[in-house]
This record gives sequence, C-alpha cells and structure tokens, in this order.
Amino acid sequence: MTKKWVGQRLTRTEDPRLLTGQALFVDDVEIPGMLHAAFLRSDYAHARLQSIDVSAARERPGVVAVYTAEDMGDAWQHGPPLVIPPPTVEDVVFHTRTQVPLVKDKVRYLGEPLAMVLAESRYIAEDAVEDIFVDLEPLEAVVDLEAALEPGAPLVHDDLDSNLAAHLVQDKGDYAAAREKADLVIQRRIVIDRCVAGAMENRGIVASWDKKAQHLTIWDTTQAPIPVRNGLAGMFGLASNQVRVIAPFVGGGFGPKIMMFYAEEVLLTWATLKLGRPIKWIEDRRENFLATTQERGQVHDAEIAITRNGRILGVSHTFLHDTGAYDPYGLTIPLNTQSHAMSAYDVPNYHSDLKVVFTNKMITTPVRGAGRPQGIFLMERLLDVAAKELGMDRIEIRKRNFIPPEAFPYNHKIIDQAFAELVLDSGNYLATLEKAVDMIGYEEFIKEEQPRLRAEGRHVGIGIVSFIETTGVGPYEGARVTVETDGRVSVATGVGTQGQAHFTSFAQIVADQLGVSPRDVRMVTGDTAEFHWGTGTFASRGSVVAANAIHAAAKSVRAKILKLASKVLETPEEELELEDGVVRVADVPRQSISLGELAALANPLRGAVEPGTEPGLESTDYFGPQYGATANGAHAMILEVDPETMMVDIKRYVAVEDCGTMLNPLVVEGQVHGGIALGIGNSYYEQLVYDENGQLLNASLADYLIPTAWEIPRIEVGHEETRSPLNPIGSKGVGEAGTIPVPALFAQALEDALADYGVEVLEAPMSPNKLFELLQAAEHKT
Amino acid sequence: MELAGEYVFDGPREDVWEMMRDPAVLATALPGTQSLDQVDENEYAGKMHVRVGPVAGVFSGRVLISDEVPPESYVLSVEGRGGPGFGKGSGRVQLIDRGDGKTLMKYEGELQIGGKLASVGQRLIESVSKSLLRQGLESLNQALQTRLAGEGEGVVEGREVEEEVEEIPYRPPSEAQFATAVVKDVAADIAAQVFSPENQAAWVAILVAVVAMAVGFWFGRKSAERR
Repeated sequence: MTKKWVGQRLTRTEDPRLLTGQALFVDDVEIPGMLHAAFLRSDYAHARLQSIDVSAARERPGVVAVYTAEDMGDAWQHGPPLVIPPPTVEDVVFHTRTQVPLVKDKVRYLGEPLAMVLAESRYIAEDAVEDIFVDLEPLEAVVDLEAALEPGAPLVHDDLDSNLAAHLVQDKGDYAAAREKADLVIQRRIVIDRCVAGAMENRGIVASWDKKAQHLTIWDTTQAPIPVRNGLAGMFGLASNQVRVIAPFVGGGFGPKIMMFYAEEVLLTWATLKLGRPIKWIEDRRENFLATTQERGQVHDAEIAITRNGRILGVSHTFLHDTGAYDPYGLTIPLNTQSHAMSAYDVPNYHSDLKVVFTNKMITTPVRGAGRPQGIFLMERLLDVAAKELGMDRIEIRKRNFIPPEAFPYNHKIIDQAFAELVLDSGNYLATLEKAVDMIGYEEFIKEEQPRLRAEGRHVGIGIVSFIETTGVGPYEGARVTVETDGRVSVATGVGTQGQAHFTSFAQIVADQLGVSPRDVRMVTGDTAEFHWGTGTFASRGSVVAANAIHAAAKSVRAKILKLASKVLETPEEELELEDGVVRVADVPRQSISLGELAALANPLRGAVEPGTEPGLESTDYFGPQYGATANGAHAMILEVDPETMMVDIKRYVAVEDCGTMLNPLVVEGQVHGGIALGIGNSYYEQLVYDENGQLLNASLADYLIPTAWEIPRIEVGHEETRSPLNPIGSKGVGEAGTIPVPALFAQALEDALADYGVEVLEAPMSPNKLFELLQAAEHKT
Repeated sequence: MELAGEYVFDGPREDVWEMMRDPAVLATALPGTQSLDQVDENEYAGKMHVRVGPVAGVFSGRVLISDEVPPESYVLSVEGRGGPGFGKGSGRVQLIDRGDGKTLMKYEGELQIGGKLASVGQRLIESVSKSLLRQGLESLNQALQTRLAGEGEGVVEGREVEEEVEEIPYRPPSEAQFATAVVKDVAADIAAQVFSPENQAAWVAILVAVVAMAVGFWFGRKSAERR
C-alpha cells in the first residue's frame, strides 16, 4: 500500500458544497404542514411554580397546541444520566439530579422551559408565548460556588441536605510527606469563570412522525446522532429501526451539542408522535445563552511543593466545580481537570480534593477543552510563580520536570474521564517545547528585543507554556466502506460532522488503501440510516477512533478487491497493485480491471458464487483503543499591553503541535487556529456575567465578547510527530488542543509585559477592567 | 441596581403629597403608562410600556404604598412583569419642607430586574431608569405648577377655592417625547463616562449609537402603529 494521501495538505473536499450554499443544515429542512415551536422560559433563576395559565395562548389564531408539564402525563421524565461517575474510584459521593423537559414544581436555572407553543409559524408561536400567564414565586438564588456550600444556603434540590453534587478525592503518592521535604511551598488561589461554546449555528431540531410508515425522522444539530436515536426510541417505545436521526452539516459543535437529552429534543419528539405533524425549532442566540450548556467555572486552592533546584515534589489542590442546576454529564469535566493538573510533568505526589456544586445556573458539560484548560492553567501558573521565587528561567523549570521520552508509557495514576488511570502513551515534550522556543526566538527576545522595547517605555512580554491533551478515548466507532459500480467509494461512519473536515481527511485514509482519489470518496457522517453503531464526535476522538475504524474497513475491502482481482486477472495477489482506480498486474500495467467492473463482478445477477462468499466490495469494521492517545504541544506568544487602556496586542503567536500521525496538516492547522481563537476568548474576552440573583447580564453577542478576526493574530504552527502506539494509523486527536494552553499562556505573557508592576494573573478570563484593578492594587501596595 | 437621588418641587409639601397620591396624575407622569387604577386604598394596578435599548414590551404591575407618614414619607413598592422580563423594587420617598415654599424630595431604593431586560438590556438599564425617573419627576413638577396655578387664581380673587375653578389643562409629554429624552440622557451618560477632548473616535461612536437608537425607536413606533 502506498502512503500517497495521508499526510497531504489536501484542501477540504466539502468546501465547494458549503461555500456555494448546497450543504444541508437543520434549518434548511422544510416539510409541508410543518409546525414551529417556541418556548416560554423562566425569567427567574430560582422560583417555585405556583400556576400557569395557557388558555389565552391556546386561543390565539394559528396556535395548534400549548403544552405544560402537566399535559405530558407519564411522558414527563427526568433525563437519563448521560455519563455516570467512575465506578473505579472509591468513596465517591455523587447525587444524580438530571434535567426535566418542562418545569413541574421549581425553576432551577434562568431560561428553564415552562411551556411549549406549537403554531403555524414561529412568529405566531412567539406571540403566543407572551399570552401565557405564569405565576412564579421567586426564591433566593444559588450563584456563588463557595456561598452555595455554606450552611443555610438556599437549596437547588430541596431533597438534598446541601448543594454538594459530588465529592471525590484522588491521591498519588503521599503529598503531605512530600510537602515536608520541600524547600519551597507555594499557595495560590486560582479562579476560572464560565464561558459559552458560541457555535456559529445555534441548536436546531426538526422532528417528523410519519404515521403511515410508522417511522420517525429527526434532524438534529447533535454531535451524537446514534445515542440520540437509541435514547429517543427507548423513551417512546419505538424499535431503533423506526427512528432515523440525521445530523446534517452542523455549524460548530464544540461540546454542548453532545449533551442529551435537551428538553427540546424530548418535547419535539413527544409532540410529533402525538400530533402526527412535523415540528421545527431553531434556537435563537439569546436562547443559546440560556438553554445550551456551558463550561469552565472552577475555584482552586492550590499548592506546589518544590526543591530549590526546581524539581516538583508534589502538587495539591482543593477545588469547587460548578455543575449548574443538574449533573447529567457526571464528572467528566473535573476528572479532566484532575488528570491534566500534572500535565507533561513527572509529579511524584499529588492530592486532589474535588467538590462539585449545584447552582442556579445552566448545566455545565464539556466545551472545547473540557476541564483540561483549568488543569493546565493551574500547573503552568504554579510553575511560573515557583520559577520567579527561585529566580529560575521559566523554560528551565519546565525542562527539569518533563516526563522524559524513554518513560512512556507513563502512568499518572489518576482516574480520568475514561474511568481508568491516565496513562500517557507517547510524546517528546522537550522537543516540542524547544521547537516553540526556537520558532518564537525566545533567547533573542528576552536578551535583546525586550530590554530595547522596555527602554522605550513599552510593555511587551513573552509567554511560553507546555500542555498535554488526552484524546481519542473509546469505547469504539465503526465504518462501512463500499466500492460502487462506477468505481467510486462510499464511506459511512457514525460520528457527526461539525466542521472537522471529516469528508477530506477520512477520504485520504481510504484513498491510500484503495488506490483512488480522495475526491472519488463519498463520505456520509451522522446519519443513523447509513450507519448506526457508535457514540459520537467528542473528546478529540474522530481522527483516532473513527479514522482507525475507517482504516480497518478500507483494509478489509482492499483484501476483497485483491482476492477477486487475482481470480479475474489470473495473477497472484502479491503481483497486483491498486492505483488510479484500477487493479493491475505490477509488471504488465495493461493487464488491469477497474474497481467499478470488479464491484459489478462481486455482485453477480446470475450464476453461482462460492459458498461463504460475501457479495460486493464492501466491509464494515470497528475500532476501540485500549486507552486514549495523549497529544501534546507548546504555545508561545509575544504580547504588548497598553497600560492606559489595558488593551492587548498579540504581536506573535506560535503553536507547536504533536498529534501523532497527521492525516492532513492543513486540517490540523485549521483545528489549532480555531482552538486558539476560543482560547484567546477564554483568556481576555469571553465571560458569562451572572448577578446575585442568577440573572445573566450579557446574553447577547453585543455584550458577550467573542473575539473577531481583529483580536486573533496570525498564527504560526509547527509540528512534531510522535506516533501513537495505540492505533494502526498512529494518530492522536487535535480538536481541543488549540484552546487548552491559551489562558495559562496569556496570563504568563501579561505578567511578563507588566513585569514592572509585579502583578500575578491567577484568574481566567482576564479583561481590561480586571487588569486595571490588578494594576491599581499593585500600585497601592508599593 | 440602586436608585437614589433628590428633586426639588416648586410647591408646598402638602400639595406635592396630595398630587403623589392621585393615580390620574401619576399615570400621566410615569413614562409609557397605559393605565393606572387604584385597586385599594394604597394599591394601584396598571400597564406600562417600557423600552430599554433593543428590549421593549408591556409590563403589568402593581404599585403599593406603605409606611405612610403624611405628608412626610412613604415606602413605594413596585412590581411588574411582562414579555421583556420583570422588575421589582422598593424605595423610601421623603418630602422635606424647605421653608421657602418648595419641597425637597429624597428617594432611595433598589430595583431588581430579570429576563430579557437584564440579559440584553443590562448595558442601558441604569441610564434608562434614571432618565425615566428624571422625566417622571419633571412631569410631576409641571403638573404641580398647573394645580397651583389653579389654586393661585382662587387665592388672588380672595375666596375659597371651589370645585368650579376651571382647571388649566396639564398636557403630559407623549411617549415619543419621553423616548427622545431617554436617548439624549443615555448619550449624555455614556459621554460623561468616556468623553475626553482627545478622544474623537468615542464621540463618533456615541453619535452613531444615538442615531441608531433614535432610528430604532422610530421604526419600532412605526411597526407598532401598523399593528
């Protein structure tokens, strides 16, 4: 097999469709007789529902139905827990409280749906929402994480003794003993606030029950079409083959679209089954701020124990994690934080005490990065503070603590989101960091350029950090590869596509195996009618788990092709080669047969086939890794701060990435660019601001600042390739990598730029206001 | 959000007090009020149209007067809700006789808002609230002048003021006048925060914003009228 395509910078084959408006998105689905849904959402974050009167709304012309929790009868159920807490950790306290489709007794977060209106148009539906009279008795809201755990705090869930959702302690070695031996113990409080994912396309659903066919079709912006199908079929007593879930082109996922079940998914399905009419709901931007899950939200009291020559003896932290009003996603996010707090370093002793807290805010589920940015922020910040205290260079302190290349596989001995101890499979952390140091010109900058700029009175700083990212976790994905009679190849896989260039990079794998052009490979993703085994697009796993399933299926098809061609061409398989869409005899190129002809021969209309022969040139295969492959990287930036306006200007940005074998470096770089853009938002612009009543004060893109092209610098990407030994392709994920180190990097660069003020940045996101306050406080101190 | 301030009425305390308890006057003085009825001795119910930046809609609400010490002070509690969200607040109002025929009003209270009003209108709410309050008080003062002028005539002619005294018609400002004034006040607020002589760009931005808000208001009115 040649390796002609994997690793090529092939431009995205899906782009012509996307750029010319020929790609189907959920809102493009139009069905005659379709109804439109709108939701009455609570204006209070915490309130008791006294009464709700929908009679006026029902009378409005054009309104077909208005439903409240009472109308749902037995169909009103709490959502199933999507992720259970790890059964492998001892003494875990975990209180499962999952979301409801419509509020029955008590509102627990701002925007929680109270009623659904179905009408002939969205306009009518929205007007009818205003006709509903709801009597809510406001209750004191639980907003602040620490206040939530105080005795006497109002309770999000009245049946619990407190707002504690979970408590879990993990230990490696003996931190207390390590602390005794340390030359230096540094303690800091680290706060990371909430953000949205901010996908360009909001959520959307069309649900259509065909009574005569007894078949339900759902178009959904979900990242997990197959689990959505399985879940909804189970919930409403349908066989799984009566339900087809299609996740067509989706304008960005970033995590929240894997959450299930959202109230809207359940309600639209329930209502179409009841009414027999198709129903559409497209989330608007304000709803996206209120009704789509969010992330980050942690407070850490952390410490690092270190020797005077910069060797880490141990790290310890006690932290609170905000799960919002419910906890359907289990402990995935904070487990990622725990498993990344030691990052790329050989930390012999670690103690982590996690408390998950219920608050009257939207549920948190992974957002690109998923708990990892918090862990990396913690470790990198502690190292930076330690380096300063020790008078050591920040590169040097990292070098002294890296896990060396010969130590892999390296066990961090902390249970992670995959319910097993985190084992780092491979990497060369020093090489990655050194490449970033070279690319940004670290030595030259700090020795020559920075002193020169400082002398001019400018505040220019450099930052450089390392990180790891666990990727490519199981359980498994599958794929079916088929050679069509026109010689082209069809591939179907269960994962959905939200902009990851699956159509391109997956096709490159198939092209190498079958000797065709990737442009002759037709990909189908996210349609349960085409492929219905798998879990979904999350945890940076597509290029590992789905890609290797496709690789396996393509290999099997290759074997079938060679076997049949060997018979047809009367030549041993070893003497055959697959190139340019034909099988030919290596030494006699004219003696050949096209893949299309072979496909027709493999599915004969008459005659007899040998017993045991599978028809067609087709194969289905699966891949499940033993454990996740861990990617790594190092980012560096040079940043200037204007101490008058506190605005920042990123002069240079370097990202060095090791995601193992790259399927397509162009796609890898695109992922890194996008990730960094969110990371910059998380560092200086994007913060959800809740008031003490749980009111979200910036639920619009005018007030919630997503960085634009103006704030995102040119990004230089460098690559290291340490193949993962855990899968045949040797790939690791890269979807979240770009985001993970940025807040830590940004903080370090800010501190360096403002070195004369001596500030410490221990919070993410920062903002011009917060930086101003920090500088004011620093000035008062001196 | 906290609201506090002072206002001087050009009239004696008793007259100010009496006026403050007259729902007909209050209704015309509170910007955007569509109705205000006395439902109990100390309670009023009504509807009010509110616009805060991009958020607009009708609130239904109640006003309750308590802890009354005529003509010195009372506590005003307001609660309203509607499509754009909700508002809830209470404040203490004090009337102080200045001794020169004028009355100093002092008020301090807290306003809590929620829903769209908070999540989308938050940036403007404080400026808009202050503007509405200022205009409401000015309207009331105008109404007071009208009343006093009526009484004054009676006094000059040296006889008791009787019911038949012709009332000088008090014309409250229209909702459009209120809105225009709100735009001006908000712009002045923003300007006060960011203006510096060398900061030309900010001024341009403010001008653009003001024009955009005025245009937005105009179209909002037009489409509302069409309905």
